[in-house]
Amino acid sequence: MGDDTNPLMMLIWILPIILFVFYGQQIQLLVTSGEIKKGIKKLNNFRLNSKTELIDYVKNNLNPASDPTKKIEQFLDYFTIMPVDMDPSGIVEKVRHTVRSREDYTRNHIKSMSPGINDIELNRVQTLLEIASSLQMIHKIVNHMFLTAKKQKNYPLILPVQMILPFLMEHATAMNSSIPAFKTGQPLGDGIGPMVVGKMMLNDEKEIISFQTALAKIEYKKRKLFLLKAEGPGSTVGRPDDALQKIVNDNKIDAVIMIDAALKMEGEDSASVARGFGAAIGGIGTEKFQIEHIATQNKIPIFSIIVKQSVKEAITLMSKEIADQADNVRSQVYEMILENTTEGQSIVVIGVGNTAGVPQ
Amino acid sequence: MIFSKEKTILAYTVEKCTKCEKLHKRDFIAGDVLFTNSSNCSFCGEVTLIEKIFGEVLE
Repeated sequence: MGDDTNPLMMLIWILPIILFVFYGQQIQLLVTSGEIKKGIKKLNNFRLNSKTELIDYVKNNLNPASDPTKKIEQFLDYFTIMPVDMDPSGIVEKVRHTVRSREDYTRNHIKSMSPGINDIELNRVQTLLEIASSLQMIHKIVNHMFLTAKKQKNYPLILPVQMILPFLMEHATAMNSSIPAFKTGQPLGDGIGPMVVGKMMLNDEKEIISFQTALAKIEYKKRKLFLLKAEGPGSTVGRPDDALQKIVNDNKIDAVIMIDAALKMEGEDSASVARGFGAAIGGIGTEKFQIEHIATQNKIPIFSIIVKQSVKEAITLMSKEIADQADNVRSQVYEMILENTTEGQSIVVIGVGNTAGVPQ
Repeated sequence: MIFSKEKTILAYTVEKCTKCEKLHKRDFIAGDVLFTNSSNCSFCGEVTLIEKIFGEVLE
């Protein structure tokens, strides 16, 4: 007699099938929950670590009049409501206004904790505050999605969390790892653009053309160069869009060259350099929009040079491979100027990125 | 934590002599800022400029 006719064996085969038919989703939910719980625990540790680092930094370096813990905790829960986009006309202006209002508020908030604070410390604390606030938000959202799925016992609801979690973890880990570099004022991978342009303008006269943005005017092989970068060595990206608008208002510009760090694709080498067209600038998109708008209105071609890197490399201490590319990128900028412009023309060169630890 | 995947990254500063252009790599010290004057060159005694600050994974 074969096993397939044995009633006991049939039961052993059929029971799991019945179990999976009726309770499959719950079993999958249990297995997936374990992985997500681990991720949430890690996110919670990042959140607590960033908050503790921030509070310690403020206490040890800013000499606040009173204990800043409560104020910082209050600020971490601040939210930003993005403008309605049902009618997209004028949305960029609205987003820019909202984001800048938040930045101004953050700066004033920090100044109220320590009225005598200098600009470099202010930018540093502002960045640490943004990191802590972002980590808190990521933790809160992932935890909410997980608990909702569990409460509803709804397996499909947990799938988006499971899919997006590895990407969120990569960003959160990068943000958590960036804290020491910001605290000590070390250059970041994203600072390669400002590093290249900063050295180009090192021995020349500089002026502040727009908020936290430095400009130097130099001559190169009978061409006029307008060198732009965020004002270092504080942690800021400046406002290159406003600066470009001011330059274009007063001068006829023939080309714009942007140097920035860009996210590499999987399989690409870190610190590899590539050239292309179009505005190389990240962020929420308002600056990119403005730069493209100015270029289109004035028929100015935009060339770009990017240095590829991972998310973690971009916001943590600059790696040796990226730092070693600075001279190469600088020579490519000069090469690009000679290839695309003629004598007597004017070019704007923008070093895009966070200028933490990179002066000019 | 012998099984930890976390890598230790050490920060270094590279100084470049403004006269003989010799490079000198040393550990990063708090307060080091790119393109600022640093110690004197060990070869010619001229002042050096901080050329690079970067991190390397401890092997």
